[in-house]
Amino acid sequence: MRKLFAIIVCKLGHFVGKLVGKGSSMPGKFALKICPDILRRVELPRHIIAVTGSNGKTSTVEMIAAVLRADGKTVVYNEEGSNQIEGVTTLVLTHATLGGAVRADVLLIESDERYAARTFQFFHPTEFVITNLYRDQLTRNGHPEWVYDAILPALHPETKLILNADDPLSSCFARGREAVKWFGLDKCSISADAPTGAYHDGAYCPVCHAPMEYDYVHYNHIGAFRCTKCGHKKPAADYAVTAVDLEKAVVTIDGGVEIALAFRSIYNIYNILAAYSACRECGVSGDTAAAVLGNYLLKNGRMQTFRLGARHGTLLTSKHENSIAYDTNLRYIAASKRDCVVLVIVDAVSRKYFTSETSWLWDIDFDQLNVPHVKRVVLAGRYGNDLAERFSYTALENWSVETDIAAAAAALKSAGDEELYVVTCFSDRDKILSRVEKEG
Amino acid sequence: MDVRIIHFYPDLMSLYGSYANVLALKRYLERLDCDVTVESVLPGGGTDIAKGDFFCMGAGTERAARAAMEDFARYAQPLKAAAGDCAAMLFAGTAMDLIGKTVKEADGSAYEGLGLASFTTEHGKRRIVGDVYGHTDLYPEAVVGFMNKCGVVTGVETPLLTGLDLGFGNGKERGPEGFHWKNVFASQLTGPLLVKNPKLLETVAAAIYARRGKPLPVDRPLDRWAEQAYAVTEEQLRLRAQAK
Repeated sequence: MRKLFAIIVCKLGHFVGKLVGKGSSMPGKFALKICPDILRRVELPRHIIAVTGSNGKTSTVEMIAAVLRADGKTVVYNEEGSNQIEGVTTLVLTHATLGGAVRADVLLIESDERYAARTFQFFHPTEFVITNLYRDQLTRNGHPEWVYDAILPALHPETKLILNADDPLSSCFARGREAVKWFGLDKCSISADAPTGAYHDGAYCPVCHAPMEYDYVHYNHIGAFRCTKCGHKKPAADYAVTAVDLEKAVVTIDGGVEIALAFRSIYNIYNILAAYSACRECGVSGDTAAAVLGNYLLKNGRMQTFRLGARHGTLLTSKHENSIAYDTNLRYIAASKRDCVVLVIVDAVSRKYFTSETSWLWDIDFDQLNVPHVKRVVLAGRYGNDLAERFSYTALENWSVETDIAAAAAALKSAGDEELYVVTCFSDRDKILSRVEKEG
Repeated sequence: MDVRIIHFYPDLMSLYGSYANVLALKRYLERLDCDVTVESVLPGGGTDIAKGDFFCMGAGTERAARAAMEDFARYAQPLKAAAGDCAAMLFAGTAMDLIGKTVKEADGSAYEGLGLASFTTEHGKRRIVGDVYGHTDLYPEAVVGFMNKCGVVTGVETPLLTGLDLGFGNGKERGPEGFHWKNVFASQLTGPLLVKNPKLLETVAAAIYARRGKPLPVDRPLDRWAEQAYAVTEEQLRLRAQAK
């Protein structure tokens, strides 16, 4: 009876929540109070795919869902983004019959990395994709090894892991396991010889702390690593990007499958590859996956175009407190060839919690903007002075501060016609988007 | 004046922008016309402690800190001697743990620290995170920062921050934080402490000068961005503390 009652309460709660525009975790929370092990009692689909990691979860999940649906599978996933156990419970129960059978071929779950163990205490994924693990929201997450230790108990022995071969830390999840598939990038046109960035988290082996060496890297410390002592190294990839042509915006997977890029970012390449790998492991053909992933435009709104006066603008949403997300977007700007102005906004460090912590700014490699076509950088928001202090230690000289975002937008609108890139977070992007004309 | 900064394990102990403490001090001293040399010490490398004017180490993961300690232990005697001779030092985040007597890990294992101080640190499975607003006896301005640790420190008799209005100290909420003895400054507060607290930067620079028998010059550099950033954060955290 408790099971039935929990399902009914969750369905009703979800219905009412949708009417009043409330979040998607509350119905699951009520259901868990009524029946704490409800997730053990329901009948789940044959395939349960989980995705976690520091970056790329939402995009990878969205692409996996699109491919699986194109392959004719019924997929339910947490599109609303609630990625802790309460949100997952809402997802499962609202798609279940009153008898508790989830009506889908695949249950696809984006999981918060720190709470994955709690989410998967009553059932376990058949496939678990871990995109990467690095410095992200350290005010909440501590540090990457702390997150690693939090994820480890969530990995059931029967779960097949789909791991990033190029990431020294998250690749450690494979230790002692056999059911592992790897995705990674071969040395290609975008590879560098040595790690890049303001810090070097690949300097020492995460297993034994001996120095590590790299044959090549794709960004920061992500690449072909090898420990000089214990043998921890990049494994051979089961699914590999074998060529990248950013000029033509095309990547080649496994030497034969070409996928056109809607967004020429290294992140996009890794997310596509992770999604491709997961779908192949679920029996989807390479051609079907490539047809969906080619020129796939993400619906999560992390990149938006707009007009501001005579300027064409692009918002590159970058998670605050995530230096590699920033670095990747700065790299995108540096790789563009047109004259541009860059607006960096740090006003609220988080939309979920209060903090004045800005040490993460020192982890961002702002020197990437020191290229001739970046004509000017404007630093805005409450923490514009912190940004200025950080910039005062770069080689850049063409930056200025306007802490008032409205004033910064007005000044950019009133003069100049160069391309405008806005680099900021979810917590701050509406403060600029509300002052521009969005494009479709 | 020539100044030699010795930075221990800059890659291994590099969390939360710790390296910016070195950048800030170097620039501050250079603006006072000092010739500043920064020496990075790597595990397995070596350095002559007697030649250093300032010694520092930043925050690392708990595993990185333990790995660092395996190498750092060999500097125990010369560093203790330098500290006794009023050399300036800054140990931030988990680096503070390493100058104590012992560090107990969450799994029950333990290892010895440098023994420069008699406190002990015990790591747990709970992460203690949050903004900090506190006070030091060194100067009247408030100290701002962020705590990000899993360790509780006991046995400190001379804390760096004598009281907190906001945040977790060595062993409890709003308790004293850090360690201070002669010119050894240690705090579990993470990140670029000297950037966030211009007055602490000045205090450390003054300690380096004092060991050379000189006062800090009267005309000192003013970093307006750092001062304005401090003012914003100080106000934010003070209001936060008052609201609690």
